[in-house]
Formats: sequence, structure tokens, C-alpha cells
Amino acid sequence: MSLARRVFLSRLFIVWSFTLVAIIISLAVTLLLIAKSKQTEINQAPPKLPKTTNDSDGSLQTEQVNIFLLDTESFEVKPIKVEIQLSRDTIDRLKSIVDTLTKETPTNYRNPIPRGTVLNEAFIDTQKTVYLDFSHHLTNGHIGGTTAEFMTISAILKTVFDNFPDEIRYIQLLVDGQEIEALTGHVNLSAPMQF
Amino acid sequence: MWLRRDKSISVLISTIFLLLITHGSVLAATVRFVDKEGNTLAEVEYTLYQQEVYIPVEELNDIFKSDISPLYNRPRKQLTIKLKEKELVLLMGKTTVKNTEENETYTLSIPPRAIDGKPMLPIIFFTEILPSIDDVDVLYNPNLQRLRFMPKTAWIPDPDDETQEWTIVIDPGHGGQEDIGCKAQSGLQEKDVVLNVAREIQKLSKKYGYNIHLTRERDIEKTRIQRVQSSNRNRGSLFISLHCNASFSRKQNGMQIFINNPNGLLRFRTMAMPTIGQNKLNLRTQSNFLTQSKEFGIVLQKEMNFITEKPIPISELPLIALEEIYMPAILFELGYLTNDNDAALLSDPSHIRELATAIARAIHTYRMKSSQSSDLTDAVQEE
Repeated sequence: MSLARRVFLSRLFIVWSFTLVAIIISLAVTLLLIAKSKQTEINQAPPKLPKTTNDSDGSLQTEQVNIFLLDTESFEVKPIKVEIQLSRDTIDRLKSIVDTLTKETPTNYRNPIPRGTVLNEAFIDTQKTVYLDFSHHLTNGHIGGTTAEFMTISAILKTVFDNFPDEIRYIQLLVDGQEIEALTGHVNLSAPMQF
Repeated sequence: MWLRRDKSISVLISTIFLLLITHGSVLAATVRFVDKEGNTLAEVEYTLYQQEVYIPVEELNDIFKSDISPLYNRPRKQLTIKLKEKELVLLMGKTTVKNTEENETYTLSIPPRAIDGKPMLPIIFFTEILPSIDDVDVLYNPNLQRLRFMPKTAWIPDPDDETQEWTIVIDPGHGGQEDIGCKAQSGLQEKDVVLNVAREIQKLSKKYGYNIHLTRERDIEKTRIQRVQSSNRNRGSLFISLHCNASFSRKQNGMQIFINNPNGLLRFRTMAMPTIGQNKLNLRTQSNFLTQSKEFGIVLQKEMNFITEKPIPISELPLIALEEIYMPAILFELGYLTNDNDAALLSDPSHIRELATAIARAIHTYRMKSSQSSDLTDAVQEE
């Protein structure tokens, strides 16, 4: 083998070995990062929620519940009886009842929840505080004014507390997953509250 | 008998007809004389003559007892009113009023008149003349036909006492293109109404001798934090956030006063307050002024009772608009823009002035009370 060919082969060997080492290192780093991200994800997982009523069969039953709407004569938020299909799971029941509240408007009553408002999600923490996450219509579609804000908040709070007297102690309202200071700048909604 | 009754009815109708023809539109109703606290002093039947309110001179004896005594010279159509040591001479149909004791002349915007041969005083006599000759302030509300008499309490600041400098923060809510607040069917917007009232209060503040700081002076968007910072930086003695209300029922109307209380009609979940060493930090600074805020709320409520028959409720709620304001504070809802009557009132410049005057007077009364109570505290401390 000529000297020139030997030199060429040895240089090729060095280049290849460096490339191989680089590939191995980058693979190792990638694997490490993936493992770490999985670990963070596990660490940031929410604390285990209190066990809600088991709904093994998933069957729905028609029940009569109270929802609170504005009486146009007395200007007070008053209970109305409605019949809805409910499961036995607390969160599912809560979602169905609040969902009904956003849609019902019988004669002589006004619904203080702005039109188009949807309950995105609901969850309860270990301190029996329920977080109700509504769509942006709750704030963007609100007519404003301290009294109207209080009517909206009262309708939601009274409906929830009336139907879940033991399961829920405080309520915090969220909009599109975010905490809010107020609906339109008056009543403070920055913390969980009760009556 | 039927004939007699018919005859008497026709006589009555013709008399009324004659009265209407001879005196234009004559109507009878009452005007209420009230004291500083709103207590009724007298209720007097008035006559509406050419759209102006007149009361019979003879009623002065009943209202003011010996303080004011009128004497009417029918042939000369001259009325002499004695008020303590002063004597006023008025001529029926003339706007000039002579104070013979001090040789001064005042001018009325509407003259006194002899109606049905009886001397009558225009209601504006009490607002235009009395304050010039007696130690009394008189306010007249034509909507409620109420005349309010108060002792003159002009504030004379002591130039050597820095604590007497008062700055009132008026916070016209909302503002800018994005945050217009509530809106009436007529198109009237909350941001404009509250700014108009705030500017009127600013004009009136000079009369009472206190400074006014507005959190916004024009139609501009200001964040809550900007409002809090400018208010606290200006070391205000009182914070009044002006708003217009809304309801899901168009029938709901009237004014309402709100106080910031995290344990009011809604209660916040109690949180562990952060501490520095042994001291707990009180983040809800507005709570420190709850008592004073309520006191001002009551003063404002009383003052507003002069311009509206409807009772004004005071409610306590956790309010973001007053959070972190480090001084006594209230949120005042001036009326419902969702109610057509309230919206019409809030678009009327004279009602805006009336509201601003009542707020300015409430600030003044609260200041006097605060000054008296601090004097009392000083006296107790000295003892």
C-alpha cells in the first residue's frame, strides 16, 4: 500500500470516528432531555382530585334541580325548578346544571348569564373549591355595571351552592382558563368566594 | 234639587274657567321646606304662574315664625320683609329688592307678583336673596319641589396647618375606545357621563377649597393599576369612583352606593397573609378604611336624598375598582343606563350639575365632620 493511500485511509478513519462519536453524544443528549421532560410533566401533574361519586354504569336519570335567574319584578335572583338528565358523577352533574343555567330563560325572568356563554370545564380541588371555566362571552358579552355583575355572579354561585351544599365551599370563576379580576371592572373575582 | 245641583256645578266650572282665563295656567301643588338633614320644616301649597313657582307671602310667618315677618301694602303693591335686623322692600312685578338697613340693592331673576290680589314670592327669592343677607345656604330642587336650608359652613383653611389640605380623588370609570362601560339605548355611554360629572365636581371644588385629582381628565383608557398609583401618589383623603349602572331588567332604576368589603355580600376565601418577621402584611389595604368609607357613604346618601325620592341603598361587596386604594373610598353608581328614565336624566346637563353639586356638598360635609372628630381626638389626647 502506497504511503499516500495509507495517509488517506487513516484520515478517513479519524473523520468517521469523530462523526460516530458526535452522533452517539447527540443521541444520548436527546434521550436525556426526553427523559427529563417526562419527569417534569409528572411533577407538574395536578394533585389527585377528591374522589367523585362513582358512575360505573354511566346511566342518566331525570332529576328536578334549582337554577337561579333574575325575577324582573323584584330584581332579585330567585330559584326556578327545572328537570334535567343527570348522571351520578359530581363533576358531570355540576357541568350539566351550570350548562342548563346558561341556557334557560322562563317568562318573567331574565338570564343574567350573557348570551353565548359556555362552560368550558369544571374541576374541584382538595379544599372543596370549584373552578368554573367559562368562555369569553361571560366577560366580553356582559352589559356592565356593578349590579348586573353581581346578578351574574349571584346566579352562578347560588345555583352551585344550592345543588352541592356539602361538596362545594368556594367558587372561583375563570374565563378561557385564566383567572380574571372582574367581569367588567367592578366586583372583585380574583379569589375563590362564597356567600 | 237636580236643577240646583246642575246650577252649582255650572257655577263651579265657570269659576275654574274664569280663573284659567284670567291667570294663565294656574295649578296647585306643594313645595317642601327641609332642613340640613332632610327633615320637613313646612309644606306649602304653591302656584304655578307662567311656568314659575310662587308661594304666598303670608306662609312666611308659619315657616319662619318670628325670624321673617312680611308686611304688604296693597295700594302701593309694596312688600316689606323684616329679617332679624334687616328690612327688604319688594315691589310687585319688579325684580329689584332693596335692603333699606344696609342701603343695598339686589336683583331677582323673576319678580314677585300679586296673584288673585295676594302677594306672592317666586321660589327663587330664597335661593337668590336669602343667602346674601343671612347666614344660610339654600338649595332648590325643582324636580322634587324641595327647598333645603342649611347653615353656611364655608371652609376657611388655616395656611399654617398642612393637614388641612385635602385632595379628593375622583375616578371617572372606564374610558377610551375599548372600554366604554355601559351603554343606553339612546347611545349614551357611561365613560362620557362619569367624565362630565367629574369635571363639574372639579369646577365646584374651588368654592369649597379642596383639590381635585381626576384619574383621567379626558376620554382615555387607564388601567386599574395606573388609577391606583396616581391616586395613592397624590395622597388623596377620599376616593370616589363614578360609574353608571346596568341591569338585566330595564325597569330597575336609581342610584346606588358601594363600599369595598371582601366580607360583604360576597366573602373571599381567607388566605394566609404573607409576613415580614413577626408582622403580617395586610395586602387588602382598602379594608383599613372600611369605617371611614361607610361614614362617607352615609353622608353621600343623605345628600342625594335631596335630589331623589327613591332611597339610595349602600351595599358592601369586594370591589376591584377600589382595591389597593389607600384612603376612604366608595363606588357611586349614578343611575341605570339600561333604564330609559335614568338614561334621559344622565344625558341632561342640569341633572349632571345637580349630581355634581350634591357630591361636592357631601365631600364638604364629610370634611367638616372629619375635622370635628379629629379636633375631638386631639382634645382627648391632650387630656
